[in-house]
Amino acid sequence: MSEKGAIFLELENSIKNYDKEAAIEAAKKALKMGLDPIEVIEEGLAKGLREVGTRYENGEIFMVELVAAAEAMKSAMKILEPEILKRKSERKVLGKVVLGTVAGDIHDIGKNIVASLLIAAGFEVYDLGTDVPVEKFIEKAKEVKADVIGASALLTTTMLVQKDLAEAIKRSGLDVKYIIGGAAVSPQWAEEIGAAYAQDASSAVEVIKNLIKQR
Amino acid sequence: MVRVRKLKPMEVLSKDAREYIHLASLELLEKMGVKVYSKEALKILEESGAKVEREKQMAYIPSYLVEESLKKTPKYVKLYARNSKYDVRLDGNHICCATDGTGLWTIDLDTGERRPSTKSDIAKSALIFNALEDADLYYPLVTPLDVPKHAHVLHEFDAAINNLEKHFISGATYLREEAAYLIKMASTVVGGVEELRKKPIISAVACMMSPLILPLHETDAALEFSKYGIPVVTMTMPLLGATGPITPAGSILIGNAQILAINTVIQMKYPGSPVFYSSYSMSMEMKTGAFAVSFPEADLVAAGHIQMARHYGMPSYAGGNISSAKLPDEQAAYEKALSGLLTVLVGGDVCGTIGLLENYTVLSYEQLLIDYEMYRMMLKIAEGIDVNEDTLALDTIYKVGPEGHFMAEKHTLKHAKDVWTPLITDPRPFETWKKAGGKSVVEIAREKVKEILTTHKPEPLDKDVKRELEKILKEGEENIPH
Repeated sequence: MSEKGAIFLELENSIKNYDKEAAIEAAKKALKMGLDPIEVIEEGLAKGLREVGTRYENGEIFMVELVAAAEAMKSAMKILEPEILKRKSERKVLGKVVLGTVAGDIHDIGKNIVASLLIAAGFEVYDLGTDVPVEKFIEKAKEVKADVIGASALLTTTMLVQKDLAEAIKRSGLDVKYIIGGAAVSPQWAEEIGAAYAQDASSAVEVIKNLIKQR
Repeated sequence: MVRVRKLKPMEVLSKDAREYIHLASLELLEKMGVKVYSKEALKILEESGAKVEREKQMAYIPSYLVEESLKKTPKYVKLYARNSKYDVRLDGNHICCATDGTGLWTIDLDTGERRPSTKSDIAKSALIFNALEDADLYYPLVTPLDVPKHAHVLHEFDAAINNLEKHFISGATYLREEAAYLIKMASTVVGGVEELRKKPIISAVACMMSPLILPLHETDAALEFSKYGIPVVTMTMPLLGATGPITPAGSILIGNAQILAINTVIQMKYPGSPVFYSSYSMSMEMKTGAFAVSFPEADLVAAGHIQMARHYGMPSYAGGNISSAKLPDEQAAYEKALSGLLTVLVGGDVCGTIGLLENYTVLSYEQLLIDYEMYRMMLKIAEGIDVNEDTLALDTIYKVGPEGHFMAEKHTLKHAKDVWTPLITDPRPFETWKKAGGKSVVEIAREKVKEILTTHKPEPLDKDVKRELEKILKEGEENIPH
């Protein structure tokens, strides 16, 4: 096997073994070798993650294992990102999703799972974290030319912010789809504010895939 | 699979109460005596030193005989299986799952209608049971009504063993001759009578009668089984307020005395015979007199008997998932959950009755899986909580810190496989559940049953063994008195 082939395999295996540290090490090594970061992702990390994703869909592994694989991928991506920016190259992805828990709310476990599942499905995810103000969603979506904005709310009080965000998106004129989720949210609420809806993480991936198709 | 119990058993009887019940039992057996319809049992008791009144068929068993018999009773029992992978060892620290009998009706899997049970119900339920990893001891849930009645026990074994690699418990045997033929069949499977004695792949239930009667056929059959080293499940079934005192303590006492009496007969004749302490008590609905296996008092009697069994160091077979519901409905669910959990919490060795409804009389295939699911939940609870450096996860908590999450941590991945996983329970949110068909757990269980029936293939019996079993079955049908 070529040196390049060996490093791709190392990257792929680090994801398949859910090994964050190994993924970071392998990514650093790949950069040192002067490899194209996009190739490093596609031939190494993403390849491993796709396989993990398939195993998850077939019910062979646990959800936490898929999340761990996605986290390992995320950590390695952080190492590669500066080089990607430098080369002004772009990765082909299923779509770009900006995610966050709305202002006033810091519940994020469901949103984190959605982020992991999206990454595993081949999306580029910009996770803004928790307590995210409306303007920040808009700003980020503009900056990265997002296809979808996803907003999570767990409390009946904070879900009102999802409505504010819906209006802000309309005002901004952004060509972006909007999906909401979270324990407090119902399909009726989503319809009322004109957003797509998913009740749990795996259906969120399906819904977002469909939203992308509509574009 | 038999699991180790880590949870300390809960008590419904204090040590003093157990001593009190024991002493009162001794007194009853010695002073009031026990009615013994079996001539052989009466002879055994007389020769061992009990005072016997032959014409009255009464035996007065002195305390020292009962105590001596308890000393001769094995403290643990190993139950063997056709496939040694499924051998079961019961010693008070393990817990296993069983079916019970014996019903007459089956809720048909296809029509949903209640109909008389058939031999094929035994074959099917045994096959399903064989497929369930944590199910251990198979007892024919129903008696087939489409075979000659005098040989039903043989037909039950025949239908089951062709689909079962696990231990088989024979239901009530009413004739010594039936027992003899069953022993012949079981011997054929393991390769001889001596092999069967070494590795009994069957046990047999001997159901006593309340109050304080050792009946003729069941007692004789119990002795026949003990002669061949087959474990005997000695069973008491006091009906509170009718065949036993109305108070749980009184019914625990009368049932306990009964078990001690039959155990004395068995141990005096065949010392060291494995014997189960088994109790299936019943309550009465006070207004109508209807039987109710799972009213709280009946559950308490079963729990008390489990504790008495532990007191004597005998394996128990009592309680379990019992109900008087007619359908696999909410009543079945709450009665079974409460009685089953109580059985497990007080330290029962066997949690039984999965799959039966309406006071042990009706088989529901759907309920079989629902009860099995409940049992698996109870098992997890019985495992208790391990507290050590690894399980406390202090280091991982530090690593994650406030606001982080544990999903991708090595500690989580390492223990993920230990987490209880549902077979038929649906925890998903409404929309997802609705999209998947919006099925009730009964419907999900029915689908799973059908899937098992088409996919599970138990290790078949050797062709010669199969032929020999059929031959013995025919002989039995001809020769057993009827």
